[in-house]
Amino acid sequence: MSTPELVTVTIDDRAVQVPKGTGLVETALAAGVEIPVFCYEPRLGPAVGACRMCLVEVEGMPKLQAGCTLTAQDGMTVRTAQTSAKAADGQNATLEFLLVNHPLDCPVCDKGGECPLQDLTFRYGPGRTRMTFPKLTFDKPIPISPTIALDRERCILCYRCTRFSEGVSEDGELVTVNRGAQSMIATFEDEPYRGRFSGNVIELCPVGALTSTQYRFLARPWEIQNVPSVCGLCPVGCNIDVTTREGKVKRVLSRNHPEVDEGWLCDKGRFAFSHPHARDRITEPLRRVRRRGFEELSWDDAVDEAERMLRAAGTRIVTALSGSETIEQAYALGKLLRQGLGAHAAVLPEETSTALDALRLPLSAIRDAELVVVVGDQPVEERAPVVDLWLRAARRRGAEIVTIGPTGSIQTPPGSAPQVCRDLAAENNELGRRLRGGQRSIVIWSGPDGRGGEHIAALAHALGLADVAGSGAFYLPDTPNGRGVADAWSAVADGEPADPEPIALLIVSGDEAAANPGVRALAERAEMVLAITMFQGLAVGWADLVLPGTSYLERDGTYMNLEGRVQRLRRTVIPPAPDELAWLAKLAGRFGVELSPHPSLVFEDVSARLFGGLAFADIAATAALPTRAKAAPRPPLPEPEPQLGGDGLRLLRYRSLFSGAAVERVAELQFQRPAREVEISPEDAAAKGIASGNEVAVRHNGTSVALRATLNRRLAPGVVRIADEHAGDLGARVEVGRA
Amino acid sequence: MPLRELVLEGAGERDLTKLGEYREVGGYAALERALGMDPGKVIEEITVGTLRGRGGAGFPMGRKASLIAKGSPNPTYLVVNADESEPGAFKDRQIMGTVPHRLIEGCLITAHGIESRSVFIYIRGEYLHEFEVMRAALEETRGADLLGGITIVLHRGAGAYICGEETALLESLEGKRGQPRTRPPYPPITGLYASPTQINNVQTIATVPKIIELGGAEFAKIGPQNSPGTAVFSLSGNVVRPGNYELELGTSLRELIYDIGGGVAGGRELKAIIPGGSSVPVLTPEQLDTPLDFDSIAAAGSFLGSAAVMVIDDRCCMVQLALRVSKFYMHESCGKCTPCREGTRWLVQLLDRLEGGQGTQADLDLLDSVCARMLGRSLCALGDFAVYPVSSYMEKYRDEFQAHVDEAGCPFGGESSVEGILAPVDQHSHHKTVEVPA
Repeated sequence: MSTPELVTVTIDDRAVQVPKGTGLVETALAAGVEIPVFCYEPRLGPAVGACRMCLVEVEGMPKLQAGCTLTAQDGMTVRTAQTSAKAADGQNATLEFLLVNHPLDCPVCDKGGECPLQDLTFRYGPGRTRMTFPKLTFDKPIPISPTIALDRERCILCYRCTRFSEGVSEDGELVTVNRGAQSMIATFEDEPYRGRFSGNVIELCPVGALTSTQYRFLARPWEIQNVPSVCGLCPVGCNIDVTTREGKVKRVLSRNHPEVDEGWLCDKGRFAFSHPHARDRITEPLRRVRRRGFEELSWDDAVDEAERMLRAAGTRIVTALSGSETIEQAYALGKLLRQGLGAHAAVLPEETSTALDALRLPLSAIRDAELVVVVGDQPVEERAPVVDLWLRAARRRGAEIVTIGPTGSIQTPPGSAPQVCRDLAAENNELGRRLRGGQRSIVIWSGPDGRGGEHIAALAHALGLADVAGSGAFYLPDTPNGRGVADAWSAVADGEPADPEPIALLIVSGDEAAANPGVRALAERAEMVLAITMFQGLAVGWADLVLPGTSYLERDGTYMNLEGRVQRLRRTVIPPAPDELAWLAKLAGRFGVELSPHPSLVFEDVSARLFGGLAFADIAATAALPTRAKAAPRPPLPEPEPQLGGDGLRLLRYRSLFSGAAVERVAELQFQRPAREVEISPEDAAAKGIASGNEVAVRHNGTSVALRATLNRRLAPGVVRIADEHAGDLGARVEVGRA
Repeated sequence: MPLRELVLEGAGERDLTKLGEYREVGGYAALERALGMDPGKVIEEITVGTLRGRGGAGFPMGRKASLIAKGSPNPTYLVVNADESEPGAFKDRQIMGTVPHRLIEGCLITAHGIESRSVFIYIRGEYLHEFEVMRAALEETRGADLLGGITIVLHRGAGAYICGEETALLESLEGKRGQPRTRPPYPPITGLYASPTQINNVQTIATVPKIIELGGAEFAKIGPQNSPGTAVFSLSGNVVRPGNYELELGTSLRELIYDIGGGVAGGRELKAIIPGGSSVPVLTPEQLDTPLDFDSIAAAGSFLGSAAVMVIDDRCCMVQLALRVSKFYMHESCGKCTPCREGTRWLVQLLDRLEGGQGTQADLDLLDSVCARMLGRSLCALGDFAVYPVSSYMEKYRDEFQAHVDEAGCPFGGESSVEGILAPVDQHSHHKTVEVPA
């Protein structure tokens, strides 16, 4: 890329040099001058110039200009309200007009105290009103979804929310209806706003028109703390600010990491924060008592009990990890079990591949790509939602996005991703040839799990993407910190795991592991089970000892996201029980293992082995991505998996974004959970005489599940798709018929 | 001065909605001639003819065409603005209803000139009859193989004044909410579907065949030097013979109103003249000798606009008229930008109070202030259009406004009449649906 030409712009008599074409708002900022804005938000696309807050005087132009719509040109002379009476009058007038029909109910408004309208009125607006007529009124508040309330009287019609819906998340559900002063924001056809990213409009709103139903009337800005942390609900690792008040989490806000999330959050990350307060949260250790169910026991007794179980099991221990532990927790567990007891056997959350380290890119590189090929069976937006936004941004910028899978732009049967990788790597493949020849080519693997990371790395290496700075590969893992957990576990010791038979003790770390059917099957074979979970109902019932787990909102430590970026989690509230590191350190001491209860010290230990000695304190608030590894392994291309034989339709299960232990415990998110439905291609539906909305029976080997059929035009014929939680025990081949 | 019909030529004598009749008066000969010319030459003729846009702004059509982005990977479009919605204007209605082929011919010539293959005519939704006439004419043209591979699409608006603003029209045409875009980029660079777009008013395009027929140099000799050609003036209000009259530009207001229009109806006295549709500043009887061309009207402090001349007699209360006009702009403000959305409503509230007799001196000052704070600050011209009438009425008929405060009511009592000048906004006809043949 060539260096952009620098131009000199004078703003309020201050000269500043910026690249030609820089927005005037940013140019002014570079000169230390504020051009106030409401509607301007570069992340929403081109400026619209609607609110007129940014009116400035530009030399040579007779009328005031909307500063947000201008770009820096050489020799431009601009005057803002600071030095131009005309601009000051223009901005003052805009605020007067905005307040003419604004209710000014700041004392009871959630936005009060952190409200751009309030702030700018204080800085630029009239001190008193000249409006003596009744103000416009609307019905309010309108719940546009169970998570968002709309107050149309407070709305200043900046169209940030509708522009987000139309131009960022592209769900098109938020619209403007009516005209003039009667204009109002509404959902399309008054349906609930069901987008995966709907909550972002709350943060975009520069007034108190869109508020969170979870946060309404609960706090004032001067009595809250915002703690910078990272979301722990998916492998993207969006940066967040966690608002707490009196020791409780009240809301989650985005914290823009321009390379990771660009300031967007999915609704799960934003709204699922109340799960630590769920009624079935385990706050005391629980021991199974024969015929009496469970009893609480003191922490001293619990640690004694755990010690007794560990000593009895010796090396015959299997540890099942969730992938949601912090790096420090996984390392601490490993240190206790592997160094202290020589118990090396583990069920790791997922396979990880270091081969991708040579293909590393920030997620924002997707936006800048020319060609992106997404391979796999799982929908990106369910697995790593913000990646879907990056893909949409890329498409809007003119990139070509090719998806290859059962719902792809190129349709393939489930399980064919390894074959697709082989095909794309072939010399004569046209798409592969274009990936190979491009300057910004990206390949992404989105399920199935297993060795996908290795496979996509193999494809990327075969295409030579490691040698091109703007090209690379991503693997969308299943768990938020699977890579970090696996790396930490293996970094502890070198011992070879041997599968113990029989299993004397199964340690189940985390709710995800406890919900994993594979882990449950192991539990059947284990003599004893020790579980670390947050909620009743997961391990309670089959674990002999349950120790309370903590949420990502309650932990200090680090996660590694899908890019390979190590990010800091901060304890935003005190957990109701001692955290894992506290009792692990105590327990470790009894086995002669030195383990600190402090994450920063544990991290030092891990970092020396994994991250080249990176200091805990040096992980920036917006963490850096390590450079590409030079000596990463180059795996061979995958062997194609044999296609599944048999009759019937191929069942593709997927895990909905709105599933899992946290989502299940948040009342406001229940409307987002997947419907009891089976997606079917129009071809198969026609062949079976099924219409959208029909009740159907999905059968497999004697099992039958009743679901509603819904036609999905993007789904490959021969495949049906059902959300995991509704698929029951159905196998890979199913029959679908009218109920 | 007699009528000088270029655009409406022949429509008085014959049914020019029929292709056969139109061809008999030389129709589509200019197209044939233009097709034999280099596209650049066509635009050159228009440029030499100094054809200024008849939609309101008077921007030279040739210069617009010269701005069209060259070498764009996207196609070039021609869009005809037939969303005539300015209160007082009904010229495009007559052009489409009586000489549809002249408009189509103009489209085809212009499309050739700018090398476009696609033409969109955006017709005001309420103009159902004119739409039908245009549709029938287009069918005939297609049947006679005159389109030469060019697609002409007739698109009906859905009843929004703002869609006459060119960028809002383009948004609407794209299927979006009809709201203006911020400019730049201008339509010749980024217009319809982000492609280079020429957009002109009906009358402008319908004048193009005459320019090709006469040649640009000859056309430029008609009327005043800087505003050559004719305009179809929509004469309305308190005048004896309202109607559309096509005259050379430069004809004086006096000639139009008195010689052609028969003067003020009922022998009443002329009080005010609106020379270019409800949005432009008002003129007084002392300005009757102003020539009706872009520059002369501008020099008189108003705009030629859409050449809709409204005659107002001495029965009219200017506060009532301002209120009626303001209600229209409040109703039609799209709501996108703040000054227009909020200001138009506030103006109505203030005028309503004034007319109701509750207005105070402070309200009068506030009215001035609101006008001043709206003017020049909106995203598109609608905000200014809402201000021009109010501020100019207040400037020129200040005594009347003052009297409303001093006498705590309307000095005209029940005697005032704004009937026949502008229909109240709630009487605007609503959008009719078209029967779709089975």
